[in-house]
Amino acid sequence: MIPTHWFLILSAVLFSIGVCGVLTRKNGITIFMSIELMVNAVNLTFLAYARQFHQLHGLIFVFFVMAIAAAEAAVGLAIFISLFHHRETIDVDEANLMHW
Amino acid sequence: MPFDATDITLSLLKVVVVLLALLNVTPIMVWVERRGSALIQDRPGPNRVGPLGLFQSFADALKFILKEDVIPAQAHKWLYTLAPMFGLLPALTTIAVIPWGLPFKLPVKHWFGRTFFAGNPIFDPIVADVNIGILLIFALASLGVYGIVTAGWASSNKYSLFGGIRASAQMISYELALTLAAVSTLLAAGSLRLTDIVWQQSQYFYLFNVVKLPAWNILSPAMWLSFIIFFVSAFAETNRLPFDFAEAEAELVAGYHTEYSSMKFALFFMSEYMAMAAMSCLIATLYLGGWDIPYWDEPQVWWASLLTMLFFTAKVVVLLLIFVWVRWTIPRLKYDILMRLGWKVFLPLAFVNIVIVAFFVAKHWI
Amino acid sequence: MFEFAIFFFFAAVAVIFALVVVLHRNPVVGALALVASFFALAVMYVLLEAPFLAALQVIVYAGAIMVLFLFVIMLLNLQHKREEPTRPVQQFLGYTSSAAFLIGLIYYIVKYAAFTALPAGPFNSDARAIGMELFQSYIFPFEMVSILLLAAIVGALLLSARSVAR
Repeated sequence: MIPTHWFLILSAVLFSIGVCGVLTRKNGITIFMSIELMVNAVNLTFLAYARQFHQLHGLIFVFFVMAIAAAEAAVGLAIFISLFHHRETIDVDEANLMHW
Repeated sequence: MPFDATDITLSLLKVVVVLLALLNVTPIMVWVERRGSALIQDRPGPNRVGPLGLFQSFADALKFILKEDVIPAQAHKWLYTLAPMFGLLPALTTIAVIPWGLPFKLPVKHWFGRTFFAGNPIFDPIVADVNIGILLIFALASLGVYGIVTAGWASSNKYSLFGGIRASAQMISYELALTLAAVSTLLAAGSLRLTDIVWQQSQYFYLFNVVKLPAWNILSPAMWLSFIIFFVSAFAETNRLPFDFAEAEAELVAGYHTEYSSMKFALFFMSEYMAMAAMSCLIATLYLGGWDIPYWDEPQVWWASLLTMLFFTAKVVVLLLIFVWVRWTIPRLKYDILMRLGWKVFLPLAFVNIVIVAFFVAKHWI
Repeated sequence: MFEFAIFFFFAAVAVIFALVVVLHRNPVVGALALVASFFALAVMYVLLEAPFLAALQVIVYAGAIMVLFLFVIMLLNLQHKREEPTRPVQQFLGYTSSAAFLIGLIYYIVKYAAFTALPAGPFNSDARAIGMELFQSYIFPFEMVSILLLAAIVGALLLSARSVAR
């Protein structure tokens, strides 16, 4: 049996890699992919705790997180598409006007 | 989990048998396709290489190996080379959870002065009998999109990109209808394991309390709709006519594999036929009763198991012949009609079908 | 013994491909690397005795969400626009702060995470158990998520359609 804190450490590593991606990159899609990576790291934490205490609540929560992340991905990509239609670039530094 | 040398050897044997069967599908299907299409189109077909053109596949394989391997200058080298391998993933892995024979007790044998199979372990002809059997198939089949879309993009060719995107949009649309249509068989069996689905179909049911029929899902009236949806979506999933926008000769040059030559093209070819075989095995398991021989309660001995394996192979062969038959009979659908069919016709029908089957199950008619 | 080998191998795969996502300049390669990372995470979920969620992870994340990402990247033809490198100040601050965050997290996990032994017996996490729990205790969030998905579909359609009256 693999100790639970190993999974927590893996989750922490993935989460901070995601944080690094969000802070360092300018491409909007890459930032969005880093956010998905952070969400998955959190899913791993939930499942690690669910197995530690043999409770199903962690699993149900991960189920809902997956569904909501799917919805969020759809809407976020639609926002990027609309940004691209207006500004011809996906660089988030260029999205600096409140209204055009 | 304690396992010993006997378990490992038997598992390796199963893996070898399944892989050999699947890898041999491609050359046989190539011959069947070319002779079958020739039969339908009233022409001889390949008949020069060996009797009845039986060694045509060897000639094709030799050609693919010896041809020059061209990589376009603008292509992304890594992804261009990896894309055909993505295509092989779904076919080779989904076959692992499909039961292809009756489980039987191994008799105790004494060879070379040692006792084997003490305790009569049960030999289960399925490579991996997991609890979530059919979900694994859907999961791995949904990864098949990546081979096509990566190949289309990495070729840096407009026609390849369009072919790749159209094909992957079609595949993910019909995956929904496929999954929802298969849910009705899961409702009838009450489990996600494919072995449970086959055991449920090896029983009998009485139509109108009179006729004793094997409980194959295709014979049950509630599942006819789901069988039609699943069967047609299987064509869309494997990119076979009438849904072959990935290749679409005369429209897109050759679609996503325009820029591929020799061995990489052969890998795409192989992955298409292997996916077809895997999908036929899945249809046989879900709807045609898997390895079950109708009207016979098979005893759990080795010769009955061999007969069930032959029956399963026969069912898969019939389905593959239907795949070839449909390809050369029905014209290709227009792309917007295809997408409309997938989203506006099959998806609502699949939902309606789930409601019908759930009603039947609640009333204990299934 | 096998479990440890599988854990280390797939943990390494997940971390390496996550680094490729964050560091590679081509978003298509990043998206495919993220798919590989999600697949490795699905194996992690199997090690955590949740095979149903592992299959769901591959179906939903690797099989649907990432395909959506790839479509958007390819249809917007984003790979031909070279992304300008970030300003050195932002890079430095980004890397150092995320490294500090990681070190802090690992320190606190190793110091304070003291778990008792796992409960005996198997973890009943198959589809039947999840289904019972979902439709009994969590029925309200379940229905709400379906409405949320509907709202997301409508929102995505409205946002990505070019306005007709221009």
